[in-house]
Amino acid sequence: MSERTETVLTATQVSKIVDGPDGRLTILDDVTLAVARGDSLAIVGASGSGKTTLLGLLAGLDRPSSGSITLAGACLDALDEEARARLRRRLVGFVFQSFHLLPALSAEENVMLPLELDGRADARERAGEALARVGLERRRHHYPHQLSGGEQQRVALARAFVHAPQILFADEPTGNLDQRTGAGIGDLLFALNREHATTLVLVTHDGALAARCAHRLTLRAGRIDGSGA
Amino acid sequence: MRPLVFAARSLRREFRHAELATLAAALVLAVAALAAVATLASRVEHALLASAAELLGGDLALGASQPLPPEFAAEAQRLGLASHRLVEFPSVLFAGEHSKLADVRATAAPFPLRGRFSVRDAHGVEHAAQTPPSGTLYADHAVLVALGLGVGGSVQLGDRAFVIGGEIASAPDNGDPFRIAPRVVMNLADAEAAGLLGPGSRTRQRLLVAGDERAVAAFAAWAKPRLPAGGRITTLADAQQNLQGAFERGESFLRLAALLAALLSGVAVALAAQRFARRKTDEVALLRCLGAGRGEILAALLLELALLALPACLAGLALGLGLQELVLRLAGGLLPGAPPPLPWAPPLAAFAVGVAVLFGFALPPLLRLRDVAPLRVFRRDTGTRVRRFDVLYLLPVGVGALLVALGAGNARLALTLGAGFAGIGVVTFVLGLGLLRLVRVIAARLHGALRFGLANLARRRALSLLQAGALALSLTALAVLGVVGPSLLERWRADLPPDRPNWFLINLQPEQRAPLQARLHELGAGNVKMLPLAVGKLVAINGQAPKLAEADDRRGESAVNGEIRLSWSEALPPANRLLEGHWPALQPAQPELSVERGWARLFGLKPGDRVSLSVGEREIVATVTSLREVDWTSFHPNFFLMLDPASGAGLPHSYVASFHLAAAGDALAALSRDFPNVSLIDLNAVLDRVRDIVGRVTQAVTWVLGFSLLAGVLVLLAALAATADERRIEAALLRTLGALRRQLSVAVLAEFAALGLVAGAIAVAGAATLGSVLARQVFRLDGYAPPLLPLAAIVLGAALVVALAGWIGTLRIARAAPLAVLRRG
Repeated sequence: MSERTETVLTATQVSKIVDGPDGRLTILDDVTLAVARGDSLAIVGASGSGKTTLLGLLAGLDRPSSGSITLAGACLDALDEEARARLRRRLVGFVFQSFHLLPALSAEENVMLPLELDGRADARERAGEALARVGLERRRHHYPHQLSGGEQQRVALARAFVHAPQILFADEPTGNLDQRTGAGIGDLLFALNREHATTLVLVTHDGALAARCAHRLTLRAGRIDGSGA
Repeated sequence: MRPLVFAARSLRREFRHAELATLAAALVLAVAALAAVATLASRVEHALLASAAELLGGDLALGASQPLPPEFAAEAQRLGLASHRLVEFPSVLFAGEHSKLADVRATAAPFPLRGRFSVRDAHGVEHAAQTPPSGTLYADHAVLVALGLGVGGSVQLGDRAFVIGGEIASAPDNGDPFRIAPRVVMNLADAEAAGLLGPGSRTRQRLLVAGDERAVAAFAAWAKPRLPAGGRITTLADAQQNLQGAFERGESFLRLAALLAALLSGVAVALAAQRFARRKTDEVALLRCLGAGRGEILAALLLELALLALPACLAGLALGLGLQELVLRLAGGLLPGAPPPLPWAPPLAAFAVGVAVLFGFALPPLLRLRDVAPLRVFRRDTGTRVRRFDVLYLLPVGVGALLVALGAGNARLALTLGAGFAGIGVVTFVLGLGLLRLVRVIAARLHGALRFGLANLARRRALSLLQAGALALSLTALAVLGVVGPSLLERWRADLPPDRPNWFLINLQPEQRAPLQARLHELGAGNVKMLPLAVGKLVAINGQAPKLAEADDRRGESAVNGEIRLSWSEALPPANRLLEGHWPALQPAQPELSVERGWARLFGLKPGDRVSLSVGEREIVATVTSLREVDWTSFHPNFFLMLDPASGAGLPHSYVASFHLAAAGDALAALSRDFPNVSLIDLNAVLDRVRDIVGRVTQAVTWVLGFSLLAGVLVLLAALAATADERRIEAALLRTLGALRRQLSVAVLAEFAALGLVAGAIAVAGAATLGSVLARQVFRLDGYAPPLLPLAAIVLGAALVVALAGWIGTLRIARAAPLAVLRRG
């Protein structure tokens, strides 16, 4: 990956081993990577190859069994879950395959969440702007069950970008959507990424989406198979 | 698809998940609480009835003025019952110059069949006694004082001399605790030999039987039509009539505890079932997608529920029965004698109620699963069809109402509780909606996690209202069990004040009033109440011969054919409460009458009816102006009929009085000598009896309340756990978005504390109101004030537990890696 600019995310010899019903199971094995600020990386691979696990580790949602990860200059291994949460709040945005909107909250309230957590007084205003950016300003008071899949993912995108994170992690962002809607979401994701100069790490099966990233990394049975340009 | 096989497999697989296990646990708990409380209540009731047998001296008594034919004893023997013959008669004992009228009981071994008979010897040492040996008799202390004798002295009775073998310490009352004369117990053969039972003697023959409950009932049925004229059967229920109030209150307390435990369990089952149904939604959608019909799905769901219910109810039953046995063993002195046999009805009822609660509360959400769209497989957010009103939701309400109706066994208790809990539900809903609006406004002005937590409460309106309702009901039940119940018991105990009248005095002539009052004052007697007494006959009601509302009523028959006792007073006497109309005026134009409610019911009397009475030479036609309720356990002179003072003053009358005098013995014997026409009745034995019963019942009820309380706390925690799902994913997502543990904690604490406080405030008001209504309507305790401070304390404590339980639940989630929760989610 890029050596010219500042590195915002590195993983060094990261492994993840879990205890399964048939003994220990290696999900990730000796993964090393680096992502530069403003860059985009697609992690691809077959189901069960460890993509989502790697994404979670990179985002600090879980701890590796061995190896180390540095996010925005902070070594995640040295941080407890509390400190990692603080880091995520400031620097990280998320988009999930199954949207993960809170069903009891309206579209606007879902988008307000990261700002409210940060104690921002202008949460509602900023959420309104973010929803307008994804074209849902008229649906701000709708609840998730009143929105289509594509609309829900747009709300999730608004939530991911509303606090202007440095790095965005997306797990199969188009996986639950039809091709056309998925393409629309892809466009929006990359547009927002450009506008905010955000570093993007995404896991996908969608070849077209992966092709839009500056770099690709293929996982096979938990190991890096090779990486694109 | 074979529904049974599928249901069994489903059950086995799903038991690993929390929902089904919670549902099963709630059910086990519900049945355990019900079985334990109801069985314990039934055994305590049984034991109290057994203590009535001690009072009677047997399980059933036959009484007649002539000796009963021998086939009565033979039938008792045939039914496997022990029997015992007893003859009672008044007679005078002589010792030198002294004489004393006594109530003599001549008995044959074995005596007594039930209860305790003990005497004190010359050294004052008490020991168990049997029928006195020939030539000996046992006498009450009052007899010995009046005759100037001690144990070992000699008395003349009939034409024979006897030795006083002991002073009676305790003996069964044969169902008649109000004795006019002190007791003497002698050998039946001696009584016959002394010529005391010859023709012309005023004997009362009794046959007491004891044994198996069913055999006793069979004997009563056999004996009833064969009794000679004037014969009478006294059952245990009759024997405890004077103590009825005490028994009824005790029973109401026990039922209250059992009922609240059942309702609490219902809440837990309902919440767990909702959660289970939510988990099942995906599975049902998939099955529908794979081609399963609605009928098959419904059958599989019902079977799964049934397969869950059976072992859970059985386990609950075993647990409940074990617990009540433990309580019985731990509370050794709780029940007199051996523990009563295990009744089969309450455990069976608990089992049935468990099944009813499960199906009643769990069916509505599960039945709705029939309508899950197969499309949900493709889009999870495709909800089931939302209906504004679903008749199915009447099912739990119906089961709840049925529980109250069956468990209360007392219409007032059922109505009070039913209306109380329905009222709390409505108040929670209305007040909750208003408060949630307020919370939304307040939250907007706050910052950070506090704002987030409170805003959450307002956002999840339906869930918040549901939780507030469940919490308010649970907390009310807890407050009633933990505070109102014990304080009602305390109030009941206070109902037996130390200066309660323990002596009754009858046949006092008007001119003796002043000297006797002075004498009582001298002796230091307290709480002296005196009322006039006139004896007459009922002549007519509304100009017609009196007709009973129910033909087969013994008390009514004696009211029609026997003597009627009347009194009058300027003001409503203590222990009387006006139910309807006004108290007779001082000098009305026409005679006025106040009638006791039960007596009025005998003849269907109401205010405005005219009652004709003859007293001596005079006939009075009085108009009923009021109906009264009388507390017969007050031990004050009380009357069914009370006239206006002006009409009463002209009638021939004597006086009755009640007073309290501690350690009366010898002083009253002297009083009795100086006022020879006056009869003194010793109420101490009855009072001791009532105190004993109240003591035992309160102890038993305290145990039962304590157990229900424990069940309530467990159910409350289970109810909170049932809503943990919503928070699990949410907390994980918030962690992902960078929420700190402190933020989650503050948010959850704020949310739960607000919820707990709202529910708690409603519960305090609800429990206090319920307590006041229960005290007046069910337990008939006047002047009960619910202890607001302890109520507030217990509810605040519960709100704290609620907040902490929510917080601890979140802590666990906050410790887990968010990724793992989200992936499982």
